[in-house]
Amino acid sequence: MVTVRSAQFPKASAKAIQDPHLQRLLGRIMRQLRDARAMAVDDISEQEWELLRQRARDIKAEAINHLDYYLDLLDRSVRRNGGYVHFVRTAAEANETVLTIAKRQGVKHVVKAKSMVTEEIGLTAFLEREGIETVETDLGEFIVQLAQEPSSHIVVPALHKSRQDVSELFQRKLQTQPTTDVDELCGITREKLRERFVEAEMGITGANFLVAETGTVVLVTNEGNGRMTTSLPRVHVVVAGLEKVVPALEDVGVFLKLLARSATGQRMTSYTTFASGPRGPSDEDGTEEFHLVIVDNGRTKLLRDEELREALYCIRCGACSNVCPVYGKVGGHAYGWVYSGPIGAVLAPVLTSQKQAKHLPYASTLCGACRDVCPVKIDLPKLLLRLRQHAAEGGPQGRRINTWMERLLVRRWSGAVRTRQAMERSLGLARLLQKPLLRSVPVPLRGSWTKDRDFPVVASESFHHLWKARLGRTES
Amino acid sequence: MQAGVQESAAKESFLQMVREALGRNTPLLHVPDHPALKTTLPRHQEKVVTIQAKVETRRSTLAARLVETATAAGWYVYRVASENEAALKVGEIARGLGARRAVRTNEDIFRRVDVDLALRNARVASIVLAAGRQRRRGELRALALQADLGISGVEYAVAETGTCVVVPRRGIARMTTLTPSALIVLVEEAKVLENLDDLLAIWRLENLRTRGRMPNYMTLVSGPSRTADIEFTLTTGVHGPGRVYLVLIA
Amino acid sequence: MALCVTCLVDTFYPQVGEAVVNVLRRLGVDVTFPEDQTCCGQPAYNEGFQRDATAVARRLIDLFQDAEYVVVPSGSCAAMIKVHYPKLFHDDPDMLAKAEELAGRTYELSDFLVNVLQITEAGASFAGKATYQESCHLLRELHVSSEPRALVQGVQGTELVEMDQCDECCGFGGLFAVRYPHISAAILNEKLQAVEATGADVVVSSDMGCLMHMGGAISRRGMRVRPMHLAELLDQREGRVTW
Repeated sequence: MVTVRSAQFPKASAKAIQDPHLQRLLGRIMRQLRDARAMAVDDISEQEWELLRQRARDIKAEAINHLDYYLDLLDRSVRRNGGYVHFVRTAAEANETVLTIAKRQGVKHVVKAKSMVTEEIGLTAFLEREGIETVETDLGEFIVQLAQEPSSHIVVPALHKSRQDVSELFQRKLQTQPTTDVDELCGITREKLRERFVEAEMGITGANFLVAETGTVVLVTNEGNGRMTTSLPRVHVVVAGLEKVVPALEDVGVFLKLLARSATGQRMTSYTTFASGPRGPSDEDGTEEFHLVIVDNGRTKLLRDEELREALYCIRCGACSNVCPVYGKVGGHAYGWVYSGPIGAVLAPVLTSQKQAKHLPYASTLCGACRDVCPVKIDLPKLLLRLRQHAAEGGPQGRRINTWMERLLVRRWSGAVRTRQAMERSLGLARLLQKPLLRSVPVPLRGSWTKDRDFPVVASESFHHLWKARLGRTES
Repeated sequence: MQAGVQESAAKESFLQMVREALGRNTPLLHVPDHPALKTTLPRHQEKVVTIQAKVETRRSTLAARLVETATAAGWYVYRVASENEAALKVGEIARGLGARRAVRTNEDIFRRVDVDLALRNARVASIVLAAGRQRRRGELRALALQADLGISGVEYAVAETGTCVVVPRRGIARMTTLTPSALIVLVEEAKVLENLDDLLAIWRLENLRTRGRMPNYMTLVSGPSRTADIEFTLTTGVHGPGRVYLVLIA
Repeated sequence: MALCVTCLVDTFYPQVGEAVVNVLRRLGVDVTFPEDQTCCGQPAYNEGFQRDATAVARRLIDLFQDAEYVVVPSGSCAAMIKVHYPKLFHDDPDMLAKAEELAGRTYELSDFLVNVLQITEAGASFAGKATYQESCHLLRELHVSSEPRALVQGVQGTELVEMDQCDECCGFGGLFAVRYPHISAAILNEKLQAVEATGADVVVSSDMGCLMHMGGAISRRGMRVRPMHLAELLDQREGRVTW
């Protein structure tokens, strides 16, 4: 399993905010992605867009609510196509399964296309420890792999790296000539990775969608490394979370209309591949053996909670991150895990640990911008509130983990708002604490406010007083 | 056999875990009521017949739309009036690129569009056929990797999105449209569909008719290979072809 | 019509409450004020303390049960009552019915003025440029966005200038502002740059939470622009400056 660093969110986010280079890049990219998405959505009428979102949500609801049925159908379809299916519960099982396949096939070199779930389970590091060279082929992932850093955005993993950074990285790790020309940097990547594609015996991809009806893996990509990974090596292994299933081939069309537009603002990505099993007898390229590894890794916990279940509808487009004011300031690394932004804040406490990820559900203003752009209409603020409720009051998927201070404050607050008299007493106390002599009495949280902002004065006469004194009498 | 039994047990136990998480103990008694799965073959056939009729009656509108969306998606689009012109256009593109080694698929369209002649006239030194005979194992793959121009037909094109539907069926057809740095795709107007829904409906029919034996690999190509992974600056030609040409034949 | 004045206005900005009463009375509305009101429960709710929030909600529903209309000068408090109260009582059919019934007659101020009273001009007059900051809850949960703008434009002498990304959160988020003050401040910083770029004299909002947060930094930095609740703007009369 990849190391979870979500507990360091406060420090990590503060560091990110103080990094001018990151702030500049993040600001620009967020704006571009947001604008691109807006333009692409404008392309379709607003009415049609809303209908599509609802249809997509309905399809996901159907798939998730009958997930056992569709996983079974998927299994039968893939096997009919001549592929193998493996159902694994844990990250360890998933990694062992892939290793077993690799060993049986004498695999020494693996090429990998982008897959979030493989990052979750730490597959690349695992295979490398077992002596199998595993190269990330998605340009952004290739860069962060060379740099040995975690990805900072679901769609643009190397968002935090300037072209200078990339040039220096390539010079160091690939012994190339310095260049800050982006075309040249891509050319270097093409050349270096082609050697890897040709040499690799196994290609590993994720899946954007798994079609139960036909046993098809749908890959939505732009670079072509997904196609290379599934055309050149002998063995193709797909690792996917169990929530990737969609029931029917015709369902995929709805998602294809939403995914690229939401993620990058394109009508379609350059390549959408439908791979259904190993190559046929008259093929000379394509893979000879096809394996689908379906991973739980904690997702059933989300299934179990009817309110949290819709988090599994996510199609990993990244639109929520692109409109999130918090993500826009702290970037992906601060969240400390493979999924960041609003959806990351929901998944991390459940899929890693509530305690480790305790900051994330609170790292939101609940502004709802994410909910508005989610192509499958996930009510992310509602899910964040639910996780806060678990932390505050306990719940089926979480324990009460808030601090005694938080509980004390709520008790005090509840007491103060229970009756008007209690409120008046509290206001009286607050006015007292404002007096110059008593200013130094520590009030919880006041310092956090006053560092950058003035705090308003508790009015000497509340609105209640004004009403009683004069406003209550109707003016003639 | 032993492995099969183990896999089966693992699957059953996994599905049971999912079931229980959903609040059930037993598998569903009936197939879920999901329209996209429940349409019968005759009904679905009707749907596809309607689509095919639409393709014919709206041919010129769809062709014009394809030109628009394909151009927006980054294709260089050329409209030609005949198969002869198509061949000439291929030659012209090859000459413009200075291509030396071409690879092409073995599709039917090449019986009618004589690209080989046009390519030779454009000084293309070698033309490899995707399903050609190979002397050594892996020779075809090596030749495909050396090619600087790939040429293919399409199964369909999709007007709404500027997409060419490539279905590799023989030889190194997958690599033909992937590994060279330039790609030319020949599209007959009669193959232009309106949208993705139409395409998937047609594929579904094939799947139903063949009882689950539709082609094992299909790619929707909607422009050149591209990335914006470095500073979010758009570049083309990362792993796949950086220049893609669509020749639309009336 | 009963006024639900909100705890922030009651405690820190009673003059805003006074402006609300003035504006409504000038438009011929009979304003009542259930004096036992304290808070709508949003602070506890947003922190996940649903049980505490539910107790407060019960009280408020009871307090306002006889009002024909309930008017709230806050997008987030209005949304709390209209959208979230029903959620709190999803397993209590009686209270759920009451909550839904209350939701049907509760309005944020601009929503009430434009959609119930059917006015966009409140007889106000203010010479200057105003920019409008959307309240996230008002915009996204109550879908009220053109109404406040119409009212701003209805003020004689006021020019409405839109700021860049006016629908982006200001970074307040209730307790978020003190849990993660550095992030809150960073978001606020960008927001205030956008405000300043408009050259506006006032930044108007329907939510005192947003205004308290923006206003706190505006005064700390000595910025020229003045934060103003919509009600205060609508209470501006020729020759009568009320701040």
